[in-house]
Amino acid sequence: MSSSLEGTSRAGHDPATEDDYVRIQQSEKFQELRRRHRSVVFPLAAVFLAWYFVYVLLADYAHDFMSTKIGGSNITVGLIMGLLQFVSTFIITTVYVRLANKNLDPIAKEIREEIEGADR
Amino acid sequence: MSDAAFGVSAVASVTLLTVLIGSFALRFSRTTSDFYVASRSVSPLWNASAIGGEYLSAASFLGVAGLILTYGVDMLWFPVGYTAGYLVLLVLVAAPLRRSGAYTLPDFAEARLESMVVRRIASVMVVLIGWLYLLPQLVGAGLTLRLATGVPGWLGGLLVAAVVVFSVATGGMRSITFVQAFQYWLKLTALAVPVVFLALAWRGDGSPSLDGTSAPTFRERTTVNVSEGTTFLVTSPVRVRVTGVLDGQPYAGVGLRLARGSHVAGRGARLTFPAGTAVPHAESIEPSAGGDWATPLSGAGGREHPLYSTYSLILALFFGTMGLPHVLVRFYTNPDGRAARRTTLIVLALLGGFYLFPTVYGALARLYTPDLLLTGRTDAAVLLLPQRLVGGLLGDLLGALVTAGAFAAFLSTSSGLTVSVAGVLSQDVLRGTVRDFRLAAALAVAVPFLISLGAASLAVADVVGLAFAVAASSFCPLLLLGIWWRRLTDVGAAAGLLAGGGLATIAVSATIAGASRDGWLGALLAQPAAWTVPLAFLVMIVVSMRTPGRVPPNVARTMVRLHAPEALPLRRDPPAHRRPV
Repeated sequence: MSSSLEGTSRAGHDPATEDDYVRIQQSEKFQELRRRHRSVVFPLAAVFLAWYFVYVLLADYAHDFMSTKIGGSNITVGLIMGLLQFVSTFIITTVYVRLANKNLDPIAKEIREEIEGADR
Repeated sequence: MSDAAFGVSAVASVTLLTVLIGSFALRFSRTTSDFYVASRSVSPLWNASAIGGEYLSAASFLGVAGLILTYGVDMLWFPVGYTAGYLVLLVLVAAPLRRSGAYTLPDFAEARLESMVVRRIASVMVVLIGWLYLLPQLVGAGLTLRLATGVPGWLGGLLVAAVVVFSVATGGMRSITFVQAFQYWLKLTALAVPVVFLALAWRGDGSPSLDGTSAPTFRERTTVNVSEGTTFLVTSPVRVRVTGVLDGQPYAGVGLRLARGSHVAGRGARLTFPAGTAVPHAESIEPSAGGDWATPLSGAGGREHPLYSTYSLILALFFGTMGLPHVLVRFYTNPDGRAARRTTLIVLALLGGFYLFPTVYGALARLYTPDLLLTGRTDAAVLLLPQRLVGGLLGDLLGALVTAGAFAAFLSTSSGLTVSVAGVLSQDVLRGTVRDFRLAAALAVAVPFLISLGAASLAVADVVGLAFAVAASSFCPLLLLGIWWRRLTDVGAAAGLLAGGGLATIAVSATIAGASRDGWLGALLAQPAAWTVPLAFLVMIVVSMRTPGRVPPNVARTMVRLHAPEALPLRRDPPAHRRPV
């Protein structure tokens, strides 16, 4: 159960030196990665939250629509829309996974190769 | 009598299988890191099954159907929130947290803020959240075992507690990965197979309307056994035949007319209602009646201010998942970020698929087990439906299957939680050896078990929702600001954790202790997340801005570690002395 000492002991075993961290931190590639990461993550989070919250509001205003029965069956629109939230969650996640695989992974790989190359 | 035999064999087989798989896999867990995080060597499907198996608790298996039976479609937000929490976790937290090398939330707090004080506060929050989450698992176990075999409620809780302590203390994480994956598929099967027969029986019954505007009514002459005394409200006068104590008077099969208002049925009383009567309901719940059931926001959870309650619930569930101690550690078993993302997608599919079934059970329960509204034990809906609707030997077999699934749910979630709580207890309170870990495992389960003895009437999904609210009010701001904001200070983090987590804990405790849910105060206490989460963020940010000198000295290094790509030659493992030896 140690405290601040740990920081130094950790750095002591660290294959990368303190300089490496500063170098990575200041490199344009790293800044670009962070910028891209944020530009994907924050708007996406805002959009999906908005979607759930607006859905709740709509459900409140559209009571009659929500209690409509679908084709003579006993299942209401509200029930189906509720279940569709699972589908929408899955779709949003798929979008994120695509974006991350396409936009974030390649630049991360570049940085890694650059730094590993520089180490040799 | 034969009911009990089926129930006993169902519970016994699940328990035995869990213990067997656990000790079989124990042979593979040799080194310390195997013992602790299954050494990142599990495939995405296995890992996703394990995450699902660990995550689908009593709340999902029993509680969601019970809430839907009582309050209607608004309660779909519970399963949607349980699922979408993984999306928030994946997008905002998962990758940086993996890179931080922190195995637990307190590890993260210490690494990021370089403060033992923040670490200790985080440890206390983990233990509180873990206990709050374990409590309904043990309550659910008691209910299930009592229904299946007729033994007193505390015995089921004790059985689950004992099995969990044994398997956690001897098996560690590696075995748990196998056990958990097995549990997911068992739980899915246990709900999915009976649904087929339930649907057939429902059709055979002439497909009565699920959102029945006249419901809840007794569709046929029904005898309700009040095994534990209950106070219930009669909404319109009913005729009833009573054996046992009602309103303080003993009766032996006498016909009575009950006036509108509150009545008290004694322990063991039997009430027989004629067909077509409106179902009286327990005083502790306010079920939605008639068409309201299928209408969103017609009274979320029978409470006032449904819009506030729904928003607050969504916030708690979406942002609470990342702060659940047993969820986080699973992401370490992915070899890289890409695998973690694939795992999450599979998890969402597995969870979404699973939650279709509790929804169907909840809707059918409104037609076929409305008497649960009278006793208030709506969590029993899933367990009772097969016998009620299918009946006969087949009904008994299906009932045994559902009981087995429910036990799988209690065992898996409780094991995961116990590993996490015990990990924190053994590292931060005891000295962190394997023996301490075993002692801590016993401690982690004993406390919620003792509380569960006095809290048997809680709705399990509700209590789990409260655990999410505390997690969202403490760890969500710590993680989000810690990962995305350089200027967070140790003082700010500590103040925010105490303010958000503390107030949420107080609100939640008041609700569990039975505080009124009426009016604005009741709504704010019953669903605290909508005010405690923003408050925690605000306190963390304002206090951090006022203490700029306390930004951790190594923040540049920490931020690189969090955000630099995987596999850079940077040390990410926690220091050796943190692991059990």
